[in-house]
Amino acid sequence: MDYGFLENVAQENGLIGVSPYVKLAVGLGALLLVLLSPTWVVPLLIALSLGIAVLLLARIDPRLYAHLLAAPLLFAVLSVAAVVLVTGGGQVFWAWQPVPGFALSLTTDSLARGLLVFSRVLGGMSALFFIALTTPMTDLFVVMQRCRVPMSLLNLTMFVYRSIFILSDQVAQVHAAQRMRLAYSAPREAVTSFGNLCGASFIASWECGEDLIRAMDARCYDGRFAMLEESAPVRARHLAVAAAYLMVVSALLAATVYRASGGGWA
Amino acid sequence: MSRIILEARDVRYRYPGGVDAIRGMSFHVRQGEKVALVGPNGAGKSTLLLMFNGMLRPDSGTLLFDNEPLRYDAASLRELRRRVGFVFQNPDRQIIAPTVYQDVAFGPVNLGYPEEKVRTVVGDALRNVGLEGFERRPPHRLSAGEKKRVAIAGVLAMDPDLLVLDEPTSSLDPAGSEDTMELMEELHQAGKTIILSTHDVELAYPWADRAILLRQGEILQEDVPEVAFGDPDLVRRARLSVPVLLELYQELARRGLPLPGKRPKTSLDMIHLIEQAFSRGGRTGPCGTIHVCDVDRTGPDALARWLSSRDGIWIGAMGTRAKQRAAEGKIILDFTYGVIDKCLLRALGGESSLILTAGGMVQRVEMRVRAFAGEWGTAILVEEVKEA
Repeated sequence: MDYGFLENVAQENGLIGVSPYVKLAVGLGALLLVLLSPTWVVPLLIALSLGIAVLLLARIDPRLYAHLLAAPLLFAVLSVAAVVLVTGGGQVFWAWQPVPGFALSLTTDSLARGLLVFSRVLGGMSALFFIALTTPMTDLFVVMQRCRVPMSLLNLTMFVYRSIFILSDQVAQVHAAQRMRLAYSAPREAVTSFGNLCGASFIASWECGEDLIRAMDARCYDGRFAMLEESAPVRARHLAVAAAYLMVVSALLAATVYRASGGGWA
Repeated sequence: MSRIILEARDVRYRYPGGVDAIRGMSFHVRQGEKVALVGPNGAGKSTLLLMFNGMLRPDSGTLLFDNEPLRYDAASLRELRRRVGFVFQNPDRQIIAPTVYQDVAFGPVNLGYPEEKVRTVVGDALRNVGLEGFERRPPHRLSAGEKKRVAIAGVLAMDPDLLVLDEPTSSLDPAGSEDTMELMEELHQAGKTIILSTHDVELAYPWADRAILLRQGEILQEDVPEVAFGDPDLVRRARLSVPVLLELYQELARRGLPLPGKRPKTSLDMIHLIEQAFSRGGRTGPCGTIHVCDVDRTGPDALARWLSSRDGIWIGAMGTRAKQRAAEGKIILDFTYGVIDKCLLRALGGESSLILTAGGMVQRVEMRVRAFAGEWGTAILVEEVKEA
């Protein structure tokens, strides 16, 4: 069953044929540039360009993408509002002192800082969503193996990955069964129902673990785990596009730093 | 007679809770046999199956595999589990790895096969179950039938001699069940001995060479399905039901309309019995021809040409590869399971048909048709489609 896991979206995204290394380089590179940028220009540009890439190249449903961005954006708007109101400096547009020793104000500096924080949140989220929506975990396992993640840790990660979907299925079934019999209708009762759900899930996961051991035994487990081969080779075309993208954004970053430092290198 | 591959001698097992699950069972299974363990829930089917690959150890009695008593040290168990492939009832409980390839490769990798060999056996196993191209898919994105196939492929990749399946069709839709039983038939043709447990008598009746009826940890009856399922009293005691065809046959006999020959196992047998009994002298016209096409040896264009001159011919496909090829060539299939029987039925009615298949199945079609024709005294032609 599909419970709207991002993983399931990533499994069918339009960039599945691009090597995970290239996608990770773009995502992590963009994230680094967002953090390095002293102005709002580069982060917003990254948010815009990666957003377009996710929608047009990876062919992610725009509604899903908007939905995904909505939650962190709401959080960002609230915290940026606090940052803008509490900090000061520069020309004051508006000020209010409700109690002595505590003032709220809108100033040029606070607005600039707010804009920077907001653009960084947006740019950073876009970079992370770019990775999450284009690179499924099954591809990341291969990357992790190449990056010499200890095999025991990697095997455990893969077991957990597999179990998440089985357990989420069971939790969803118990939850549905509870709701059909009118659980979660009153606050006190909801606490009890939630406790029951947790208990049932715990027992289910325990049994699942025992079954896993049995299945591994029946299939001659000897501490080894097969690994997939690379999903897609690094293609020159993809690499060139990714490198060009990161270089253009880096150049822009350099230009903004140059301008921000008053025409001279900081 | 082929040699005995698995034997139980007065096997008993009691669960730690104190429930007697198996109360003294003795039987044997010969190489190449298809055996169905049939019984109600709680009859001890799963418990018994789990003993075959050493997952459970009987409290008393002996189990022999390949005429050797089972040994329960780690090395012997590994070898046993390689040779006895066990397919769990719930594939979600058997599939371990995050992708289809990794899961099917699980056994071979742990048996220490070199990488090249792992790739070959996994490729072969996936082709056998018709899941080519599914390598990178995560199991939770598969249908129940596909998951079952992954589980079977994971076992096949270890090349077992004996396949043990616990309720292989219990969670599948009818088409999925038919696919799975067809796959069982293919594997049987490839030389595997198969034991499965089920409480679906309609499924076990035409499929099995031998049925073992269980009840409360004991063997109630052990015989060919026509006999094992033919005794209403036994069937009732085993909380099963008499297969519809067998019931029909018995009811006809009770009404003074006895049908000649042996008891029917399939609709084909039944139709033929009825025709023989009532048309006195059989059909007037000649029987239809059954054409067989090996999809590996006949190209899609040649097949399309062949079909273009034979409008309205009945078409069936046997085996996953043939079905894939039919889908690729946009050939609409009339029959996808029980194909030979359905084509024989058409042939008896004077109509011709085409069976798409691959590998050694061509010979199997010829053998089955010849056996049928010999048994019932008819003449039905089998012709292989050759490239023009």
